Amino acid sequence: MSAPTPTMAVRMMRAPRLKRAASWYTVSLGVLVVMTLAAVFAPFIAPYDPNFVNLSAVYQGPSPAHWLGTDSLGRDTLSRMIFGARTALLGPLLVVVFSTILGILLGLLAGWRGGWIDSVLGRLFDVIFAFPSLLIAIMAVALFGKGLVAPVIAMSIAYAPFVARLTRQLIVSERSRPYVAAYRVQGFSGPWIALRRVLPNVTPIVGAQSTLNFGYVLAELAGLSFLGLGVQAPTADWGAMINEAQAGLTGGYFLPAIVPAVAVVIVVVAVNIIGEELSDRIGGGVPA
Amino acid sequence: MTLLEISELTLDLPNGSRLLDGISLRIEEGETVGLVGESGSGKSLTARAVIGLLPDQARTTGSVRLGQTEVLGASVAELLELRRHTASMIFQDPRAGINPMRTIGDHLTEALRLCEGKSAAEANARAKELLAAVRLPRPEDHMHQHPHELSGGMLQRVMIAGALTSSPQLLICDEPTTALDVTTQAEIVAVLSEQRASRGMGMLFITHDLNLAASLCDRVYVMSGGKVEEHGTARAVFGNPQTPYTRRLIEATPSISLSAAETAALAQQSGTLTAAGQGETEPMLAVEGLSKSYRRRGKATVDAVKAVSVSIPRGGALGVVGESGSGKSTLARMIVGLESADAGGIRVDGRDRTTVPRTRAERLAHARSVQMVFQDPYLSLDPRIAAGRSIEDALRLHGTLDSRAARSRVLELLDQVGLAEQYADARPRTLSGGQRQRVAIARALAIEPDVLVMDEATSALDVSVQAQVLDLVADIRKARGLTVLFISHDLAVVRRVCDETVVMKAGEIVERGQSVQLLAAPQHPYTRLLLDSIPRPAWESDPRESAAANA
Repeated sequence: MSAPTPTMAVRMMRAPRLKRAASWYTVSLGVLVVMTLAAVFAPFIAPYDPNFVNLSAVYQGPSPAHWLGTDSLGRDTLSRMIFGARTALLGPLLVVVFSTILGILLGLLAGWRGGWIDSVLGRLFDVIFAFPSLLIAIMAVALFGKGLVAPVIAMSIAYAPFVARLTRQLIVSERSRPYVAAYRVQGFSGPWIALRRVLPNVTPIVGAQSTLNFGYVLAELAGLSFLGLGVQAPTADWGAMINEAQAGLTGGYFLPAIVPAVAVVIVVVAVNIIGEELSDRIGGGVPA
Repeated sequence: MTLLEISELTLDLPNGSRLLDGISLRIEEGETVGLVGESGSGKSLTARAVIGLLPDQARTTGSVRLGQTEVLGASVAELLELRRHTASMIFQDPRAGINPMRTIGDHLTEALRLCEGKSAAEANARAKELLAAVRLPRPEDHMHQHPHELSGGMLQRVMIAGALTSSPQLLICDEPTTALDVTTQAEIVAVLSEQRASRGMGMLFITHDLNLAASLCDRVYVMSGGKVEEHGTARAVFGNPQTPYTRRLIEATPSISLSAAETAALAQQSGTLTAAGQGETEPMLAVEGLSKSYRRRGKATVDAVKAVSVSIPRGGALGVVGESGSGKSTLARMIVGLESADAGGIRVDGRDRTTVPRTRAERLAHARSVQMVFQDPYLSLDPRIAAGRSIEDALRLHGTLDSRAARSRVLELLDQVGLAEQYADARPRTLSGGQRQRVAIARALAIEPDVLVMDEATSALDVSVQAQVLDLVADIRKARGLTVLFISHDLAVVRRVCDETVVMKAGEIVERGQSVQLLAAPQHPYTRLLLDSIPRPAWESDPRESAAANA
């Protein structure tokens, strides 16, 4: 018997309500665009060299010369923020790209082949899940040295299982759909169906979910540099900036610490809003 | 006294589309009124309007009076009162309407305890009474069961019992049997009529099945495009339709009753039928003793198909009829090479096609032997791939056409299934169900198979669309001499397409023979049960009797 399809009336009831979230989505996109532009054109925008030390102007408050004040070495906070946006964006971007590619491939393998491959990969994911990603990153730093490369690789591996699980689940449900059987009956090979037809049908959903990881990775990488294990001084980095500004906090100079912290929060929230909205838009368009 | 009076009901959406247009409808106390129409005709919306279940953004005019209350613009409290005591509704999919985590008892006693303030013991007693009233075998046990433990038919009875807890004056049934097997449908319909009669309820019965409406309803309203096309007593509307739409709908509805010509032909050949040997030439499709069983962890093995043998001569059409779980789809999946057989053999045009193809050559050879059209055209087309592209993929896999030649062949094939050139670039979601099924047929034909398997290929379609698709299949058979294995739960549809029919039950073929013969003189009790379960208008005679009378 046919699975009952929703009648017109039911489908109408499900018609999308007015998008309240749309405006926040636009604002978040704006935040991300501004940040990206700042990162790309940092040398042209930044009013000062981010590493220019001016010991005669330490811990200054906001002024027309220094909009966001200066830090303990008299470096311009705004300029450091603008240059810091580079590593802040690049790290998570690389992690999201690598973990998505790795996760999709593993998820596809597990979901399409099933059987023992699925079981083995499933347990492997469980093991990786058991370690906090930050811990893996710290281990990688301990093994391969400080900087951006080791943490990015470690985080890519740590985040791949999230992507892989989702991909696997989508592939499994997709695999049992009649259109896949129809391809088989027509004589197409399994790998062709999996790679050329099923995978493109699930990647938008996986991609949207992956953008959500961007925010988490950004926060974690900032945390890593805060611990002094990520991007190394004197390169401007938000996490490192918070760390360097710690000493000033007790002296009442909170601005150099609060500015990068607030920036991390804003970007993470913006990325999450974008990710949620993308997931809703793509996931909502049920193929029917 | 008038129970429900809808007059000039109009419903508009904010985007300007008018979904209901001047609907007027009346139900007297104790009367059963049918609302028939195809999908999108507005019949469900009309029914929902009665208990105030309309979309928030909808704008309505006109009036819906239920008992003494005007429903349109009623306050929340008034609506609650109506839903609690005046009208209840049963929906198409019982599984979607029940909380899977709660027991049947919870479901049934909830309303009694919370709305009527009955004690738990009283509510339980009442719930058991109702379960017995809808003829569930063990009310006491069912109270503690969860929805997943019950079959679809049993669950629909629970939903009926649930709808009856409030002793409504009006019961609204929205396609309550569409998702069920025909024998289960007959049982549900019997329960509904029984309850309606014993309680003197009015009933608004929504269905797309004209025969069902004719067998059940005193009066019917035929709806199309948000308007009432025609109304009157069931006999008058179906016996002597006034509007062209109703006439088309009736013509498109497959029936199991035999025409005079068929009965005459049958009477003539009644002696020679058993000797109707298939001739000496090898059949196009020969299935010998095919078996398949599924092992389930911790449960008994299921024999899905047990030693089934069928054969179809070149250019013939064989119908396979059975209810869900009869093994007919498993049979189809083995024939097209989606599942392996445990025992037995499949030969297509003399070549062995028993095993699931592994290598590229095997896959292509198997595909050229058998193609399949699937049940649900909404799921069997890749949502991302345009209609023409999916046909082209198949063509290029099996041939050496360059892209220009492939393109023109695609258009040719689309034309053959009655689709114009512009549909080549259409994504499946922009096509209607019938159009999608045409694309699926064109895609199967692109490979030029020896045998075409159609697995419930029209059961997801509206009757008028179904008729078009069946005509299309008939045309293609005539033009190409295609051999067809037609699988369906609906005897009336099978008989329209197939010369011969086999009836499957629990993995076995219980009866086989000429389709007409099967309808006129079923031998196996199960075939008789199937035939008896098919709703037919109260005034129409039994096909077997008419056949006997003419003989």
